[in-house]
Amino acid sequence: MENRVIKIYHGPQHPGITGNMSLELDLLGETIKGARTHVGYLHRGFEKLVERRTIIQAFTIVCRICVPEPDPNEENFARAIETLAGIEISDRAKYIRTMVLEMARVASLLLWIGGQSGSIGLGTVGQWSLFDRDLILDLFEELTGGRVYHMYIYPGGVRRELPDGFLDKLFELLDYLEDRLPLYDKVFFENATFKKRAIGVGVVNRDEALKNGYVGQVLRGCGIKRDTRRDNPYLVYEDLDFEIPTFNGCDVYARAMVRRGEIRESIKILRQIIEKMPKDGKIMQKIPKHRRFKIPKDDTFVSTESARGEYSYYIAGDGSEKIRRMQVKGASLIHGFTLLEKLLIDEELSNVAMIMNSLGICPPEIER
Amino acid sequence: MDGTMLPEVTAVGVIIKAILILAVISAIAGFGTYIERKVLAFMQRRVGPNHVGPYGLLQLAADGIKLFTKEDIIPQHANRLIFAVAPAITAATAFIALGAVPVFPGFTIPFVDVYVPSIASDVNVGILFVLGMMAAGLYGPLLAGMAQSNKWGILGSARTAIQFLSYEVVTGLSLLAPIMMVGSLSFVDFNNYQSDGTWLVVYQPVAFILFLIAGYAETNRTPFDLLEHEAEIVSGYVTEYSGMRWGMFFIGEYANMITIGIIASVVFLGGYNDWWIFPGWIMILAKIAFSFFFMLWVRAAWPHVRPDQLMWLCWKVLMPLAVINVVITGIVMMAG
Repeated sequence: MENRVIKIYHGPQHPGITGNMSLELDLLGETIKGARTHVGYLHRGFEKLVERRTIIQAFTIVCRICVPEPDPNEENFARAIETLAGIEISDRAKYIRTMVLEMARVASLLLWIGGQSGSIGLGTVGQWSLFDRDLILDLFEELTGGRVYHMYIYPGGVRRELPDGFLDKLFELLDYLEDRLPLYDKVFFENATFKKRAIGVGVVNRDEALKNGYVGQVLRGCGIKRDTRRDNPYLVYEDLDFEIPTFNGCDVYARAMVRRGEIRESIKILRQIIEKMPKDGKIMQKIPKHRRFKIPKDDTFVSTESARGEYSYYIAGDGSEKIRRMQVKGASLIHGFTLLEKLLIDEELSNVAMIMNSLGICPPEIER
Repeated sequence: MDGTMLPEVTAVGVIIKAILILAVISAIAGFGTYIERKVLAFMQRRVGPNHVGPYGLLQLAADGIKLFTKEDIIPQHANRLIFAVAPAITAATAFIALGAVPVFPGFTIPFVDVYVPSIASDVNVGILFVLGMMAAGLYGPLLAGMAQSNKWGILGSARTAIQFLSYEVVTGLSLLAPIMMVGSLSFVDFNNYQSDGTWLVVYQPVAFILFLIAGYAETNRTPFDLLEHEAEIVSGYVTEYSGMRWGMFFIGEYANMITIGIIASVVFLGGYNDWWIFPGWIMILAKIAFSFFFMLWVRAAWPHVRPDQLMWLCWKVLMPLAVINVVITGIVMMAG
């Protein structure tokens, strides 16, 4: 039996995963007997890099930590600096930030639909969802000047005022997206083959889920209602009315259905934001000497709910202009190593890509 | 009619027809890739090939030039002979199978007054021959995967074996019921049986659906595209192939798609009989084209299944259904 095990490398390129990581799999026939994650393809040393930089220099780096979703990084960084400096931002800036975060969430979840459907060989839905994501990126371009990297949420507020008629355009886009969502249900979420493949595959142990520190859709797919937006509210999430979709089953399908619900909730949140956004207010609070801003000798820990789960930053200053230490804690490390290696044992080779996608792993974020 | 034809004329005719099949089907198979890309693009809100020639029509030529001029690479530890022969098996069997299927109604060449049956050779066990040839075609992927000394290739050929074991029974059993009704294995008899305008699919809807499903597995199309699913096993049995060797696998695959389309049309969908005001040859072209389009449609709308799910589907669902269908057909025929 020893001799019949073949070792293969799955990756480093994967369909539907934004970044490179490889999986070393021991195969007996098509059954996986052992799995080890290998990273190191994308290590850029961001945590160390920012230690020698002022906040305005670090600001351009943090958003590159997770490529498909830069906004939670910016929000974490900005909020950490604001907490350290004791700056209170205006209501309007808070609403704009929340709007950007929710738009980013919808875009990221649409990208995930593409990845998940691509991993089971359904390219059509992937193309559709990327088309729809592009429309959100168009709005981002109008708002921030960038499609993928926005560099919009800056310590003290946001960088630019909303363009004329932006909210109307967003409203129209939401209508359009709501029309499109039933189509995804029909072709993807209720697809008999997808259900057949996804139900009962990649089952997470519910008891271990909290203990091991799994976050996001993995927890909510186990029926555990955890969401930073509700548990530890930031920005204006306290004033907004939204549900936290959960699903029982702990499998790939449960996580897919949780994401399906989250897109709808995000659209609901965006509609409320359009309604409630204050008409005027300073978008940017004055940071004293912000080019040479001295970070107080203190540390802080902030977290945001990204589209992949709870996403946290620890930032410490030592009274100088440079950041003393920054530590990122995201979903990808624990999901990509501990959980993925555990889930893949005794699975079929055909399910590897599907399971990997369902965990919401973002390789650039594992290595920073 | 056969009496008017001299043996030499028949022999020359067979050679001409064989060359015609090779030329026309190769061209159509190549054109099929263009159609596939355009149709998929249409369904996926994309544009598809549009750079080479008007509407990207010359993409086919560009691809051909690229395939022919690519460096021919044989991996160091590969079994060179089998590696070289495997693509030829796939392509050759696909074309040989086409030799025994009738595409158009027979016609008389004007002035010389020679009757030409539109079939290279009307084998009296036509269906058996075609199915056997298409089944033999699976040796291509099987040998290709094992000859290239690549782990993905080996996984691909293991999957070929799985697929072969799964669908072959269903294909045979699903066609058994129509064969019982017609009482012949010749495609021409099938066509003539439906000349009154009633298609066999009316009597045998279950067999038709079973045959389509098995046919998709046979031609290695989505949702049974196990042999080369890039998210799972890179490219499976074609991982180490490049250039025209790679191209031959795909010409074979597309030729098989056309064969399945012709069998479905002739056996179940009324063949090349005239219908209403449309002459037979337009009818069969339309049917083959629709069958081809249907394969692309399915590809756009369905994910892949797992290998074990294909086996489950074929052995536990489709085969019992096919057997029940055969038994019921038999009982009805006995009673009637």
